[in-house]
Amino acid sequence: MRKNSKLSNLYLVLVFAILYAPIFYLMYYSFNSGGTMREFEGFTLDWYKEVFQDTRLLIIVLNTLIIALLSSAISTILGVFGALAITYVKKRRTKNTLLTMNNVLIVSPDVIIGASFLILFTMIGIKLGFTSVLLSHIAFSVPIVVIMVLPKLEEMSSSLVDAARDLGASKWEVLTKVILPYITPGIFAGFFMALTYSLDDFAVTFFVTGNGFSTLSVEIYSLARQGISLTINALSTLIFLVTILLVVGYYFITQRNNRVKGVAIRK
Amino acid sequence: MKQLFNAFIAIAVISVILYVSINQLNSSQGYSGGNTLTIYNWGDYVDPELIARFEKETGIKVIYQTFDSNEAMMTKISQGGTTFDVAMPSEYAISKMKEDGLLIPLDHSKLPNLKNIDTRFMDLSFDPGNQYSIPYFWGTVGIVYNPAMLNGKKITSWNDLWDPEMKNKILLADGAREVMGMGLNSLGYSLNDTNEAHLQEAKAKLNTITPNVKAIVGDEIKMLLANEEAAAGVVWSGDASEIMGENEKLDYVVPEEGSNLWFDNMVIPKTAANREAAHQFINFMLEPDVAAQNAEYVGYSTPNKEGLAILPEEISGDERFYPDTETTEKLEVYDNLGKKMLAHYNELFLEFKMHRK
Repeated sequence: MRKNSKLSNLYLVLVFAILYAPIFYLMYYSFNSGGTMREFEGFTLDWYKEVFQDTRLLIIVLNTLIIALLSSAISTILGVFGALAITYVKKRRTKNTLLTMNNVLIVSPDVIIGASFLILFTMIGIKLGFTSVLLSHIAFSVPIVVIMVLPKLEEMSSSLVDAARDLGASKWEVLTKVILPYITPGIFAGFFMALTYSLDDFAVTFFVTGNGFSTLSVEIYSLARQGISLTINALSTLIFLVTILLVVGYYFITQRNNRVKGVAIRK
Repeated sequence: MKQLFNAFIAIAVISVILYVSINQLNSSQGYSGGNTLTIYNWGDYVDPELIARFEKETGIKVIYQTFDSNEAMMTKISQGGTTFDVAMPSEYAISKMKEDGLLIPLDHSKLPNLKNIDTRFMDLSFDPGNQYSIPYFWGTVGIVYNPAMLNGKKITSWNDLWDPEMKNKILLADGAREVMGMGLNSLGYSLNDTNEAHLQEAKAKLNTITPNVKAIVGDEIKMLLANEEAAAGVVWSGDASEIMGENEKLDYVVPEEGSNLWFDNMVIPKTAANREAAHQFINFMLEPDVAAQNAEYVGYSTPNKEGLAILPEEISGDERFYPDTETTEKLEVYDNLGKKMLAHYNELFLEFKMHRK
C-alpha cells in the first residue's frame, strides 16, 4: 500500500515536471545574454529592460488585460442571468433546447466564430478595433460562464428560496440575499475561466483586431515568422509570475472565507 | 453579495487605471493626433528606429500592425472595417489583390526616390509599370547546406541534390511552386512552364529524388537545419540568412540552373485613409540611407541600388544574397498561372509527396 502511494507520487511529480518544463525552459533563456535560445552565454536583464522600453509592446499588453477584465466581467453578469433563466424555465423541452444551444456555442470552432464576427462587424459597419474585440470576447465567454454557474444553481435546494419567500422576502431580496451568495463560488469560477479564455484567445481575436488595436496573442504569432526575440520570453515570464500571484491570492481568499463560514453562517 | 460587489468594484477600478495608462502611453507616443499612418507589415520587418525617424521628420504618427501571411492580410483588407494605409504583400498576392480591386494606383510624381531602385527589379510581370507596387525586399529560392556533413562537398546546382550520396539528407520546403520549380529548373525548363509533357517529366524526375528526401516541412525547416538534423534544405533566401545566423557552419547557394526570384512590395490598399502620408512613407523608405539601414536590420536583400552602395562590403558583396547579374538573369519571377494551372501544380506536388520510395 505504501509502495503504491510512493509510485503515484512519483507519477504526479513526473506529470508536473513535463507540464512545467517548457515554461521554465522559456524563463531560463529570458536571462540569456546570447540573444538566442540555443546556447546560454551569460546572465543579463537586458530583455526585461527592453520590455519596459518598448511602448508599443506595453500598449498591447495593457490592451490585452483591459479586454480580458472587461469582457469577463460583462460576460459574468450576462452569464449569471442566463444561467438563472435556464434554471427557472419550467418546461423540460425548452430547458434542454436552451442548454444545447449554449453548449453548441462552446464546442463550435473558434475559427468559425471569428470569421462570422468579422463578416458581421464589417456588414453592420462596426470598425475593427477595441469595440469589435470586446464584443466578440464577451460573446464567446458568456456560454462558459453559464456552464460554470449552472451546477451551483442546480445544487441549491429549492426549499431555500421557498423558505425565503415564506418569510416575506421580495423577489429582489431572494436574488441578492439567497441565490447570489449561494452561487458566488460558481460566479468566481466562471469569471476566472472567462478571463483566461480571453487572455489567450488567438483564433477569434485574430479576425477582429485592426486599426492599430492588437492583443498579445496576435502580436506574438506574427512575430514568429522572423523568429521570436527573447523580449517575448521576458514578457512571458512576467505574465506567468503575475498569474501565479493571482492564483495564490485567490487561494488565500477562499481559505479565509471557508474558515469564516465555519464560524458564522450569516453574512 | 458583498464579496461579489467588492470584486466588481475592484475590476472597474483596475479597468479605469488600465484605460488611463493606455491613454497616457498613447499620447506619449502622440497617437491621439489626427494625422496618423497605419502600416500593415510582416512581424519585425522594419527597423523601429526608422519609424521613429519618419515620425520626427514629418510629424505624422505611425501605427504599426503586423500580419503573418499574405492570405490573412488579404482577408482583412478585402473585408474592410480597417484603415491600413500601406501594406507589404508578396508578388503573387499583388496579382491577386489587383484582380480583386483591392489596390490604389500609385502616384509616381509623389515618389521621386523611385529612381533609386535597381531597374532590374522594376516593371516585372506581376505589376507592369509598377502601377500598384514598389519593391521593398527581394530574395531567391536556393539550397542551404552543411559542408561538414557532406565531407566538404560543395553544392552548386539543383542536380547535386539527386546525388545518391545525399540519401536521406535533404529537407524540402512545403510549397508546390518551389518544389515543382526545382524539378523544372533541374531539367532546364522555366519555372512557369505550362507544357504538360515538361510538367510530367519534371514530376518523374522529382520521384527519383525521394530516397534522398528526409522530410517535406513547413516553417520548422529553419530550426531543423540550424540544429543539423539534415545536410541540405531547399529554402527561401530570407530563411537562409536566419538559419546561417544561428549556425555559422552552413552555407547558401543559388543553383546555377536558375531559380525563383521573389519580392515583398509596398502597396496602398483601397482601405487607405491617409493616401498623402502613405506616399510620403513609401518615398521615405526609398531613400538610400533608410533602405540601407533597414536592410541591415532585417537582413533581407534590398532592391535599392543607391542604398546597396552605402551598405558595408561584407553585406553588399555577399554573392549568396546579392548574386551577380549573370545569376540574376537566370532567375524568374512566378507568373500568375491562373487557377486551373495552379491547381494542376498542386496536384502534381501532392502526387510527389505521396510517392513511396
